[in-house]
Amino acid sequence: MGSLQFFGWVGVALFAIGLLGVVVRRNVLVMLMCMELMLNGVSLTLVVFAQQAAAAAATVLVFLAFVVAAAEIAIAIPIVLLLVRHKRSLDLDSYADLNG
Amino acid sequence: MNAAPTNLLTAIVLLPLAGFLLNGLLGNRLGKGFVTMVGCGLPIAAFALAVKCFLDLGPGGNLLLIDIAYTWFSAGKESFEIAFYFDRLSAVMALIVTGVGSLIHVYSTGYMKDDRSYARYFAYLNLFLFFMLMLVLGRSLLVLFVGWEGVGLASYLLIGFWFEDPEKAAAGKKAFITNRIGDAGFLLGMFLIYTTVGTLDMDRINAAFMATPAPMVSASLVGILLFFGACGKSAQIPLHVWLPDAMAGPTPVSALIHAATMVTAGVYLVARMSGIYLHAPEASAVIAAVGLATAFFAATIAVVQTDIKKVLAYSTISQLGFMFLALGVGAYGAAVFHLYTHAFFKACLFLGAGSVIHAMSGEQDIRKMGGLAKKIPVTFWTFAIATAAIAGIPPLAGFFSKDEIVWFALASGRGGSALLFAVAAVTALLTSFYMFRLLWLTFFGASRMTKEAEHHVHESPPSMTGVLVVLAGLSTVGGFLSIPHFLERELPLPAVKEGFEHYEHFVVAASIAIALAGLAGAAWFFGSGAARAERVRLAFPTLHRVLLGKYYVDEAYQAWIGKPLLWISERVFLRFGDQRLFDGTLHALAALGRGTAAVLGRIQTGSLHLYAFLVLSGIATALWWSLRHV
Amino acid sequence: MIDTVLLYFFAAAALAGAALMLVLRHPMRVALALIATMLSLAGVYAMLGAHAIAVFQVLIYVGAVMVFMVYVIMLLDVREPTVSHRYSWLLLPGVAGFLLLLGILGRAVWQGLRASATGAPYGVQAFSVDFLNDYWLHFEVVSVLLVAAVVAAIAVIEVGRRGSRG
Repeated sequence: MGSLQFFGWVGVALFAIGLLGVVVRRNVLVMLMCMELMLNGVSLTLVVFAQQAAAAAATVLVFLAFVVAAAEIAIAIPIVLLLVRHKRSLDLDSYADLNG
Repeated sequence: MNAAPTNLLTAIVLLPLAGFLLNGLLGNRLGKGFVTMVGCGLPIAAFALAVKCFLDLGPGGNLLLIDIAYTWFSAGKESFEIAFYFDRLSAVMALIVTGVGSLIHVYSTGYMKDDRSYARYFAYLNLFLFFMLMLVLGRSLLVLFVGWEGVGLASYLLIGFWFEDPEKAAAGKKAFITNRIGDAGFLLGMFLIYTTVGTLDMDRINAAFMATPAPMVSASLVGILLFFGACGKSAQIPLHVWLPDAMAGPTPVSALIHAATMVTAGVYLVARMSGIYLHAPEASAVIAAVGLATAFFAATIAVVQTDIKKVLAYSTISQLGFMFLALGVGAYGAAVFHLYTHAFFKACLFLGAGSVIHAMSGEQDIRKMGGLAKKIPVTFWTFAIATAAIAGIPPLAGFFSKDEIVWFALASGRGGSALLFAVAAVTALLTSFYMFRLLWLTFFGASRMTKEAEHHVHESPPSMTGVLVVLAGLSTVGGFLSIPHFLERELPLPAVKEGFEHYEHFVVAASIAIALAGLAGAAWFFGSGAARAERVRLAFPTLHRVLLGKYYVDEAYQAWIGKPLLWISERVFLRFGDQRLFDGTLHALAALGRGTAAVLGRIQTGSLHLYAFLVLSGIATALWWSLRHV
Repeated sequence: MIDTVLLYFFAAAALAGAALMLVLRHPMRVALALIATMLSLAGVYAMLGAHAIAVFQVLIYVGAVMVFMVYVIMLLDVREPTVSHRYSWLLLPGVAGFLLLLGILGRAVWQGLRASATGAPYGVQAFSVDFLNDYWLHFEVVSVLLVAAVVAAIAVIEVGRRGSRG
């Protein structure tokens, strides 16, 4: 079997790529998907650590994170829909109304 | 000394309080009849009770009454009671306060008949009586102090009774503030006594100072501190400035508070604490000096005053100075004696002046009077009797008490001296002179009134003249009651100095001669249209100006104390302290917050990308730091 | 041997899909890349022995979440400047931060793990027994969270309706 170190690093990479996507991409939907990617990176890391420690808790936590992800997307999507209806745009730069 | 418990003392004190509450709360609704009934009835009832208590003292006088009304509060083992104490000294004071007080209440029903605030006036007057009785009956210095402050409050309210006039309101404030300065000394004295003696009950304090070993505190220091308080209340130099201004109040108030009762509280205090002063020769010397100086300077000012009430006010200050002189030479009984006679004749003078003012429709300047003797005969005769009494013409009351003081000023074994006697004699001469001058200018000679005023002149109603007659009668016979002898047990008179016994008759003769000389002088100077007095005035213009300006004490206080205080308040406390330091600090803090907010607000661009980037760099930095250091 | 090769293949596919997400222009293609990543991850989970997680990954993420996402992308289908201008002005700082984070966090995770995987399978049965014996309370609490999410979604839609009417 392969090196756990490598898969742990893959989880971190997925998380970092997701965060980078949130920072650099302008499309709101793409940003949402990048957040999902971050969650996946975290899940992978959890699974890897669960393998090392042989702990059921980590696995259960991954399952619960899935549920939370589902809940998150269920609310995020309507919000995006409302934003688009309001601004007629998916460009995040047009949402900068809350500037100080 | 066997003390008998009683409840009457509480009743004496509470009756006027009930009057205050009834008149103050309901007086305006229930009408003048009710106000008069309550306002005069309750003080008279208090007087009757005081007489009852006085009779209870018993013929042997070997009894005193103690009434513990209420335990005010207790702290640890110490407890402070509201207790009333009735010995012969308290008895004399209580009888004066309730007796003269009742008379003046009755007089007020005539004098204040047409005033809009009739009920308020009687409420205040009853309030004053309540506090004054607390002052004279209190056993503890604490209760006395409550009364002391309370009469100050009542005095303030009554001086500023016609508060629509800013000048009168200012006079009220001046009286209050000047009294506060004296009270600071009084309070310090109380603290000192409590920390060293451990009690504030006055009989116990006296006993502690009389016992051996004496308390570990300088009796003179305590005495001077207490005397400072007495100075404020009794208008002695340097705190005498408030009393002349206090004449802004209604005239019966001047008679009751600023002549007969409240201003004598200082005399009562020193007499009551005589146990301390007997062991404080330095404090006694200070008292004698201050008292005599006050008596002399006030008398000189009174010679040139033209306002009828101002003359009487300075006369009051002067007479109080006499009382303090007596206290200073250890003749406590003589001081209380003079207090007692002074209450009668000075109340009579003030009420007479009130009657004159009433007749003149509010005019107080004696230069615009003259020839009133025939028009208002009752007022004239009572005024003349009281004038003769204060001048010391035998056999009227003032003669006995003043003679006693002058005698002890010369011969007391506790600091009497020829110098004190000489100044006291000159002051007595001045007293006689300015009082007869007042009598002459007001009642004799040609009328200097305007036609209109002359037309209105009328004798006062019976409620006023009746009181005048009673007080004049008391001024006549009051002196035959030998108060010093009556008080001998509580306030023993000092021993006469070696070799001075023979001078007693000389002093009596001198007193009579002085009084008559004053009368003659006033008659000579002011008899023929005051032409001779006018010549004297022109001959010494500077002296006249200084006297008329009351030695410029007010102006000096203003320049040396008032102005620097204002300057410090304005520059240091207001402009620097408040505006720059406090406001400045707060404004700087606010500006800092605003500036920081403006800077931080830049970060709030509304750009989610930037926020996400900040999260990214934040996570990286936090991780970097924690991995380096943890 | 074949297992190890598959494992590294899936891992590489997941990374590649993730990288593609950053560069593709159209949201639909990004969604497809994400789906590919997720499926690859499911393969990784299965190979690592976490079968239950692999199953849920496919069911919940690919089956529910991503279908929802694709549906929304089709629904909106707006002509967008974001298609031609993919990146925000923070591209370069973002990449720098990304590299920093990857370096620090990757190094920390690398040091915290053993070199070789045990490969002990954690099957659906074992998971189910643990889950319902020890973690049933969490399960129920999560269902409450789901209900709350449903209510919240309805509320958001309701607010949007009112906003458009008013």
